[in-house]
Order: sequence, then C-alpha cells, then structure tokens
Amino acid sequence: MGTLEELQTLEGHSDRVWSVRWSPSGDMLASCSGDKTVRIWTRQRSSGRWACCAFLEESHHRTVRSCSWSPDGRYLATGSFDATTAIWERQDGVWEQVATLEGHENEVKGVAWSPSGSLLATCSRDKTVWLWESLPMNEYECVDVKHGHSQDVKMVAWHPKGEVLASCSYDDTIKLWVDSDDEWICVQTLAGPGIGHTSTVWAVAFEVSGARMVSCSDDLTLRVWSCNFDDVGEPNWKLQSVISGYHTRTIFSVDWSPQGAIATGSADNAIRIFTETGTSPDTGVPGQPTFSLAASKESAHLSDVNGVHWHPKLPGLLASAGDEGVIKLWQFTPAELLSLHA
Amino acid sequence: MAELINPNPEVRGRKQTTRSVECNPNCGEGDREPIDALEIFEHIRDITDPEHPNSLESLSVVDEKLIEVDDARSCVKVQFTPTVQHCSMATLIGLCLRVKLLRCLPQRFKVDISVTPGTHASEAAVNKQLADKERVAAALENPNLLDMVNKCLAASEVDNLANLAA
Repeated sequence: MGTLEELQTLEGHSDRVWSVRWSPSGDMLASCSGDKTVRIWTRQRSSGRWACCAFLEESHHRTVRSCSWSPDGRYLATGSFDATTAIWERQDGVWEQVATLEGHENEVKGVAWSPSGSLLATCSRDKTVWLWESLPMNEYECVDVKHGHSQDVKMVAWHPKGEVLASCSYDDTIKLWVDSDDEWICVQTLAGPGIGHTSTVWAVAFEVSGARMVSCSDDLTLRVWSCNFDDVGEPNWKLQSVISGYHTRTIFSVDWSPQGAIATGSADNAIRIFTETGTSPDTGVPGQPTFSLAASKESAHLSDVNGVHWHPKLPGLLASAGDEGVIKLWQFTPAELLSLHA
Repeated sequence: MAELINPNPEVRGRKQTTRSVECNPNCGEGDREPIDALEIFEHIRDITDPEHPNSLESLSVVDEKLIEVDDARSCVKVQFTPTVQHCSMATLIGLCLRVKLLRCLPQRFKVDISVTPGTHASEAAVNKQLADKERVAAALENPNLLDMVNKCLAASEVDNLANLAA
C-alpha cells in the first residue's frame, strides 16, 4: 500500500467547505463554502506553507457550492445556491467581481470552464444545464439551455479536449453533450440496469488523456467509463469497471490525477486512492483493467469529505474539503515509490 | 392550510420512559455516558406535527423502538411513521427530525432519517430527499421553510430548556 500523508490544515471558513479547486498553474487554491464566501490560498515563499490571500465575499447571499478557474487562471467562476454564477477577475493580486450570470430558476450546483476558455457550463436544481459564451469586455451570453435530466443536475465537467460536456444528476444518470451545428445535443445517457448508477451521481472526472471518465455515487460505487469509437467514428462510452466495497456512505467527489490515481471523498469521512493494477483475473479480457486501493485515510476529516482535487503539476498533492469547515492538503506516495526509497 | 391531509389522527398520551439499562456502575465521573435510543427519543418526541397541534410522539410518528444508535460507530438511525400513506408533510417531518438532531448531537454523528418501510406511498422518493445533504442544506437556507421547521421544533426546544433548568 502507498501512503497518504497529511501536510497542512487550512482553517478560516466558518461553515462547511463544499469544494476546492487548484488553479491551472497550481499556484493558487480556491475554496467555497456554506459561509457564502470563497477563499483563495497561495503558498508563502518564506515558509512554504499555504495561507489565505483573498476573500471573495458580499456577492453571493447563499452557499457557494462550486467554483471553476478559467484556463488562463485569470478568472474564477463561482456557482451559488442563490441561483447566480459570479465571475471574478484577478488584477494585480486584487479580485473583483466583473459579471453575474443570471437565469437558473434556483440553486446553481456546478460550474465548469471549457478547456479553451470560450464557454462556461452551469447546472442547477432546476434540472437544466446552461452554456454561456465568454465575450470581450466581460460579457457573457447564454448560447444554449439543455433540458434532459429529470432531476437536479449535480455537476458538469468538460472533456480535456473540450468537445464533450458531461453532466450528472440526482436522476442517477450521466449525460454526454456535444456541439452539433450550434446546438448542444445529448449524444448518450449512461444509465440503466447493469450499467448505470443506482442512486444520485454526485461527480464525474476525466482521465487526463480524455480516454476514460470516472463517476461516483450515492450507491457507494465508482464507475469507470471508456470512450470507444464505432464504425462511423462516433464516440461511444461504455462501462469498463465498477469499483465497489470500499465506501460505507455516499461518495461525493472524485478526481483523476495526471499520474493516473483516482481520489475519492466520501460521507464516511475517508479519502481513498485507487490505481490501476492490470487486467482482471476474473475476466482475463485485455482492456478490462481493475483498480485497487492504493492508499486510504479513514477519518481524513472529522466529518464528510465533500471535495477532492489533485494538484495539476505536483505529483500526489491532493486538496480536500471537509464538512467541519477545514481544507486539508495531502501527499500521496504510491507503494512503488515507497519501496524505491526503502 | 385549506384542507387537512389527515383530519382526524389518533392521539395517544405521553409515555413514561425508563432506561432499559441502568447506568454502568463502572462509569466514573468525567466518563461520557454513551448516547442511546432513549436520549434520541427525548430530543424528538416533543416536536410538533406540521399539521396538528400534537407532538410527533402523541401521533405515533416517532417511537423509541424505531431508533437505532451505535455510539461507538457514531451512527443514529431514526425511522418515522407518517399518519397516512399519502402524507405530503412526510418530507417536512423528516427535515424537522434531521434539523433537531443536527442541532443537538455532536458533529461526529452520522444521522439517517427514513420512513418506516411500507408506511408511505412515495417512501423511496422521500428517503432519497432526506438523505441528500445538498438538498437539505439548500432547504435550510430557504427562510419560509426554515420558519416552518423552527415552528415545529419550538416545543421540543422549550422542553429541553426546562430539562436543563430542572
């Protein structure tokens, strides 16, 4: 087994922390909370420790549920239960709110900037996914409103190449959307007996290559989906493996590291890391990999772990968001590296 | 409310409760008494029904026998029984139970609230909503809903204060 070592606890939020996101270059961490604020954390040059350098407040009047960095790291989008999405711009180290995106009927639960930075996706309890185009002068225009989910949409995530948007929902499904002649259409719904999750899908994350996606659910499982191309070259996502038997309560968050490790945050207070261990002995079919537990930390937080996010550059550095109001930073070291050092 | 969902519910009296297990004689001063089902019941029995001026205990919505506690594992399971199969107040009752226990139990406890199996037409849907912390968090930020919850909890909180003073 590898190890997951606690590096630092970041305190400051006065209510549960819902989500943590590293900036694309990894020099900042954004956290959002039930205390209606967003905090930005940076590494102190002198001590090497992470500390809060900015508060983004007095914009949202309810819980800030999620946030997303623009690919250039200059903007942060925040989605709130107050039904709005705020856009913040950093200029000379000072954050200023430059736009408010209104339109959802109620709680915005997820927000995600496309890899090119030209589009922003938001999702809500109103069951819809909205696509916004980023225009010059901090203007944002809604270019499409997608109906399709039958219940609240928990999260949206972009494929690393930006051509596919994934959304997951309280309706137990994952939907994949692509741009087709200026309209976003649902090309696939991952659901159904023997395939889909059997309860709320809380989050999805793509492998860095975009070849696979992992989802986590209230059904206590993780599902790994692989993208295959059919005869006419259309992508088709198929269930590749189910990771079960580890979590004892809802899995709220999942992230796939650039090095290939999957991290989960769960209501059982634990953080778990899974890595691929080759072909399943049961099926023996090539291309049917199995994942096994590579490290775990029971009681990682005093309460639910709501969010996990891998650092984009530093291998094994993980941030987690806890219900008790703190953020923790962790170092994952795989077993192979531990034995090298021994 | 224009029309009552259950116009004529059966009402029973307040039950005398006793601890089934006597206080552990080895339990010295400073040791923490584990939380048990009776303690949970004491917290929730006096919550007022959203529809009637009666307590959840008197309407047999909550029952000590339908509470499971595992103090060592920090787990509490509470089942509640709506007075009628189509009770549209079931989610609100569940929310009241969740909020009450959120306010009076240490944060380490994982609380599961569900409808007693077979007692509600939309059992699975009600249970799923009550288990979704994001929906519960959002509901509690809704001032109207929070006001309704607080009204139901008022009697149970007064009672706790009285117990503290006694």
